[in-house]
Amino acid sequence: MPAETTATRTGVIHDLGYQRYDGPRLGRAQIVRALTWHSFRAAFGLGRGAKAKIIPVIALVALCLPAVVNAFAMSRGNPRLVTYDAYQPVLRDLVMTVFVAVQAPEMVSRDLRSRVLPLYFSRPMKTIDYPVAKLLGFGAACLVMVEVPVLLLYAGTIVNVHGGAAVWAQTKELIPGLLTGLLWAVVLAAISLFLASLTGRRAFATGAVAIFFLATYTMSQILLQVENHAAQNQASTGRGPGAGPVPLALTPVNTGEKVSGLFSPFTLIDGTRTWLGSPTTADQVPKQLGAFGAVYALVLLVLVALCLTGLAARYRKASLS
Amino acid sequence: MIPSLPDDEVATVIETTALSKVYPGDITALDGLTVRFAPGVTGLIGANGAGKSTLIKILLGLLDPTQGMAKVLGLDSVKDGMRIRQLVGYMPEHDCLPPDVSATEFVTHMGRMSGIPAAPARERAAEALRHVGLHEERYRQIGTYSTGMKQRVKLAQALAGDPRLLLLDEPTNGLDPAGRNAMLELIAKIGEEFGISIVVASHLLGEIERICDSLVAIEAGKLLRADTIDSFTKASQLLVVEVEEGLARLEQDLTRRGLAPRAYKRSLLVPIGSDGTDDPDGTYDAVRDAVADLELPLSRLERRRHHVEELFRDESDGADLSLEAADAS
Repeated sequence: MPAETTATRTGVIHDLGYQRYDGPRLGRAQIVRALTWHSFRAAFGLGRGAKAKIIPVIALVALCLPAVVNAFAMSRGNPRLVTYDAYQPVLRDLVMTVFVAVQAPEMVSRDLRSRVLPLYFSRPMKTIDYPVAKLLGFGAACLVMVEVPVLLLYAGTIVNVHGGAAVWAQTKELIPGLLTGLLWAVVLAAISLFLASLTGRRAFATGAVAIFFLATYTMSQILLQVENHAAQNQASTGRGPGAGPVPLALTPVNTGEKVSGLFSPFTLIDGTRTWLGSPTTADQVPKQLGAFGAVYALVLLVLVALCLTGLAARYRKASLS
Repeated sequence: MIPSLPDDEVATVIETTALSKVYPGDITALDGLTVRFAPGVTGLIGANGAGKSTLIKILLGLLDPTQGMAKVLGLDSVKDGMRIRQLVGYMPEHDCLPPDVSATEFVTHMGRMSGIPAAPARERAAEALRHVGLHEERYRQIGTYSTGMKQRVKLAQALAGDPRLLLLDEPTNGLDPAGRNAMLELIAKIGEEFGISIVVASHLLGEIERICDSLVAIEAGKLLRADTIDSFTKASQLLVVEVEEGLARLEQDLTRRGLAPRAYKRSLLVPIGSDGTDDPDGTYDAVRDAVADLELPLSRLERRRHHVEELFRDESDGADLSLEAADAS
């Protein structure tokens, strides 16, 4: 190219020091990896000011507390208090809601707000690569948030048990816990990124994500209680007068109770998890889901698929504006 | 497709053939545009809505043309969009900078996104920021920058990936006159001394003509005219004649002598050779004689480079309104 010869020629004369870059260039996959890593770091406020790190740090510490308490209790001779798969459901639901509500807008709304996207799209990547990298980076960040406490729980447990067999037993129980964490990361990242990508206004994005998770969870729990009472009443009338209330564990689970868990991502995760064979059931979903668990898995799958499609469509549209 | 000889490719940075883009709702943004951009600094002139931004998006491979084709650095915009975006730096018209990171961090990140590995991306970011004149301030958050500094960061991020071609969309937008001049000088420097071909899209013809080697003017998605600045201006050179009094009398006299003078502010513009001869000396002589005969106090007589804008006004009636409004420099 003549441009290059010109550069060499005039470069000598003016000595402006403009250097051509002759080194290796990263391909599309490596650029996506760089953006993924960048997003992952940003999810914890790394590379940003101290203020950006406050919420991620507090959230992680809060999530780790049960593991720390458990380690302390076990060191004093108690059995393990916290399960690997269910962990502390309400704490996890709440803290993870706060984490994704604050950090998902950090991932996507910022770039929308400051209109950086055209700069990404004018680089050697495809439009879809941007949401993919954001999803991978934020998914990985959510995974860290969920798995680090579980691993800490495991570490705190095995230092307090004795013998290889006991450690092995703990390790076997850990595996469903880790897989559950994966489910959490995928579901939360997909939903929260999609919601946050709808607006460049950060406060709105945070509000939308928080309200979505809290409102659906509350609705699901209210429904569960209502249906639970209905089921108990039905059971006691069925046994004739004077039989008294049926013990909760024996109450047959009616369809209404099962359906109540379909309204919140958190209960969907729990239902899907138990259906897949995770041993502990959480109180926020009905105990004997049985084959109905497949419906949980299906609804969860559809929900995540919708969010991913929405996210992709959002950025296809953004690239043309 | 036009079979291109090696020489041909060298002489063409961008080439479009019957390029059309019709948006849904029957909105025609580009209408059979066939044009070539030579290496160097090219002004892409057109009023708002003339199709400049659509053309840029097609050139970057972000938008598929409805008809026709576009080649950038010999690469097909539809098939080789990724490769084109590796070789082309783009500076959008609008704000596109996050306020809460430093210029260094941002330009480094954008260099990485252009495919430069981490360590050289940092070096190049520092270099690019130095070239645009932001060396000292580069660790400050972009939110604290003035508009002029932000424009420089936008330019620096386009340079970070070591482009062969820069597409600059309204680079002087929002700048005060001093800022505009500084930005234009910077663009000229990059074009001349860094050996990077540049397309400067602008609606301000009067402003960018002085830094361009050639011009492409489009209107309503159609090519108005494309040529080198030289041939734009060579076609008719002007003599500027200024007298301290008697401008009207001089104008009459020159007209009588077969010239075509035109009053412009407090001077007369006399097209050289407008008396029908090709000899420029004849025009000088006529002006000299007229001034002498009328005994007018002559204060200025010089050859002036024709402003391209005036050519547009002369030659295309439709274009003058949109381009006239543009003289802001």
